[in-house]
Amino acid sequence: MTRVKVLLAVAALAMAIGLWFALTAPTDALQGDFTRIINIHAPSMWLAFLAFGVTALGSAMWLIRKHNRWDRLAEASAELGVMFTAIGLFTGMVWGKAVWGRAWDWGDARLATSAVMFFVYVGYLALRAATPDPIERARRSAILGVIAVIQVPLVYFSVNLFRTLHQTQSIRPDGATMPQEMAIAILVNVIAYTILYVALLVARIDVAKAEERVANEDALAGDTVKPPRLSEVKDV
Amino acid sequence: MSDQMIVIGTFVLSYGVMLGYATYLYLRRRRAGN
Repeated sequence: MTRVKVLLAVAALAMAIGLWFALTAPTDALQGDFTRIINIHAPSMWLAFLAFGVTALGSAMWLIRKHNRWDRLAEASAELGVMFTAIGLFTGMVWGKAVWGRAWDWGDARLATSAVMFFVYVGYLALRAATPDPIERARRSAILGVIAVIQVPLVYFSVNLFRTLHQTQSIRPDGATMPQEMAIAILVNVIAYTILYVALLVARIDVAKAEERVANEDALAGDTVKPPRLSEVKDV
Repeated sequence: MSDQMIVIGTFVLSYGVMLGYATYLYLRRRRAGN
């Protein structure tokens, strides 16, 4: 079994354990089963922050070293970050509709900054897709990758800077604002999602490497099979 | 729709997205060959 397959198998097992914790943890007296959604929502957003941080690291390293491997890391992590943000926003909306009475509020600092972060990173992927030259693509996206990460602390601390609808952090260094069993379920899921992130990151980088190899082989084949010049074509 | 159905649907959709992304990567990798 290849390294990617082993990692994905470990991730699937971790996610299954996480799901079991999410479905068996005690629920809030008022929120009922909607409490369980937080076991997807919080880990997804945490992983999105980590993923965009790794994108910034890959971007900065590409600007310094100009090596392909950093560009591949930045791209793979950004794609995963967008996926986790989409899941985080969706689950947050379902939970918000049930508990707050509304799915979305542009007046809320956390929601608005999260949405902007999501669209900026979708823009990052669009920028990559719209730039065919690999060096220019890496350069442009690396600059955006370094700048865009400013949003991560902005989203994280938005609940402390602006007191609007979204509650402040529920799990802090000095303890959790919930029973231990609920906090443990969230932390188990954070670990499971992190393993999944690493597995998918390695798989995505593997895809990028394989596709680059194919593109290079095609380019080489194109060099060896040249059309004949007119001067070389003899009259019959 | 009952609360439980909404929660189950949210779990199915979220895990489905992650599984879908893994499948998409698998198909892209297979198309690129060895």
